[in-house]
This record gives sequence, C-alpha cells and structure tokens, in this order.
Amino acid sequence: MANDRLRALEEVENQIATILQCAGNIVLELSKDKHNASFLDRQLSQFTGSVNRVETELSSQIRYLTQVATGQPHEGSTYSARKDCQMALNRAEYARVKLGELGRTCEVMLDPQP
Amino acid sequence: MANQRALPQSKESLLQNYNKRLKDDIRSILDNLTEIIKTAKVEDETQVSRATQAEQDHYEMHVRAANIVRAGESLMKLVSDLKQFLILNDFPSVNEAISLQNQQLRSLQEECDKKLTSLRDEIAIDLYELEEEYYSSSYSQLDSTDLPLCEAYRRWDSWASPDGGDISGSAHGGVEDTDGPTSQETSPKHDLNGHGTTAAVDEP
Repeated sequence: MANDRLRALEEVENQIATILQCAGNIVLELSKDKHNASFLDRQLSQFTGSVNRVETELSSQIRYLTQVATGQPHEGSTYSARKDCQMALNRAEYARVKLGELGRTCEVMLDPQP
Repeated sequence: MANQRALPQSKESLLQNYNKRLKDDIRSILDNLTEIIKTAKVEDETQVSRATQAEQDHYEMHVRAANIVRAGESLMKLVSDLKQFLILNDFPSVNEAISLQNQQLRSLQEECDKKLTSLRDEIAIDLYELEEEYYSSSYSQLDSTDLPLCEAYRRWDSWASPDGGDISGSAHGGVEDTDGPTSQETSPKHDLNGHGTTAAVDEP
C-alpha cells in the first residue's frame, strides 16, 4: 500500500519532467521558420495531459494525507520480532559450529596422522 | 470535508501549504507557456522598432522560460515533501509494513527452531546408541556411582513399567561389563526411543 503511493509519486515526477520536455519542444518548434503543425499539436496535447495528471494525482495524495495524518509520531516497532529471530539464527549458528567441531574431532580420530 | 478530523494546526497548515504550492506552480507553468506562445506571434505593427521589439520579446521569453523551469523544480520539491510526509504520517501503510515484517521474522524464527528441534531429536537418538556402545565396551572408565545415559533410561523404563521387576537385575549391568561386551551386545531394546519393547536383563 505504501509502495503503491510512493510509486505513484515517482510517476508524477516523470510526468513533471515530461511537462518541461514538451514545453521546451514547443518553444523550439516555434523558433523555426516553418512550423510542423502536427508536431506542435502532439506536443501540446501531451503537455496538457501531463499537467492534468500531475494536478489530479497530487491533489488526491494531499486529500488522502489530510484524512489519515494524526500529527502524532508512530511508535510501532519490529524490534522484538527481529531480536527473537536474531537469537534463533544465533542458536542455529552455534549448533552448526559445534557440529563442525564434532565432525573434525571424528575425522581426526578416524584418520590418525602418522 | 466531513471526514476531516481536527488535525494539529501545524499539520493542517502544512497540507494547506502543499495545496497552495501545487495550484501556484501549475498556474505558473500554464500562464508562462501561454504567454511565450503569444509572444512568438510576429506582428507587423509595433510601437518601437523591430529590433527593439525583438530584443524585448527575446528577454521576455527568457524570463518566462526560467519561470517555467522554476515552477517545475518547485513541483519536484513538493513531490519530495509529500513523499516524506507520506512515509512519516501514513499510519495505515506503516502498520501494515510493521505487521508484515513481524510475520516474516516470526515465521523465520519458528522454522529455525523447528529445524533445531528435529536436529536435536536425531542427535539424541544417535547419542543414545553411541553411549550404549561405548559404555558396554572395554574402553569405558565407568564409576559405579556414575550411570551412563542408556543405563539411566533403562532404569527409568523399569521403574515406569507396572511390573517393576527389573530393578535389581539391571542395577549391576553397567558395572559388570568392564571386561568386555558379554550379554549386552545383543540389540538394545528400550522404549524410550522406540527401539524395542523389553529391557535387556543382565544375567551374571
């Protein structure tokens, strides 16, 4: 859910870049002696569409934040679960180390060096 | 606006500021591009000379283009501020992310502990057999008061059984085997690890 909203905001950033790109192409085309009307129309429609999308999306995000924001800091944490998991991994690692030592001891006993 | 709760003044004013910035930047981009396009129109009659008019139009277009770029950059800053606000204040998504992370960590911990428990059970079975073999061999330096694990389990089995007739028979089993494996080299039969049903009785 959070990733969707953040991805939508990243898409808005791309749209803003598109807006500036289209504005630059329009001005560049107008600077020529002979204008390509179809190119100008395409760029202008793309510019207008991007502006509308940016405005709609950002307004929607601000409206959502108005509804969910509480002004209080979030005090949730994953610390206890992370600590328990880390202890379980430490137990497994310790068992692995001890079994490794046992295996090496058995190898030494079975293959005595001359 | 019926759903809007009473936010702290700072948050509410911040969100209103975001709205204002959005409206201003969009308006700036549209107005400046419109004026650039209007200025690009070549007029036959000008109040000043064509060179002066051209110079003026050139400067105006520069300024308006710079305004468009500034408004675009301001919009990017607004998006960045909104991302930051979203990460810090979007409680539903933060709660969901925390619960998902907790769930993943707990499942990993349970899987780890389950595998360790099964490993422990397997090693306990092998250890039982190894101890029985060792303590029934001539290499054992067993004290009469020190019981090996297999012997302790054998006694526990005999005490646990309702007959209880094997207590005296098995009490000397571990001590008399110092000369070597005699009658105990037959397969160990104990209930503890599911190897068999009867306890081996050592006949001197």
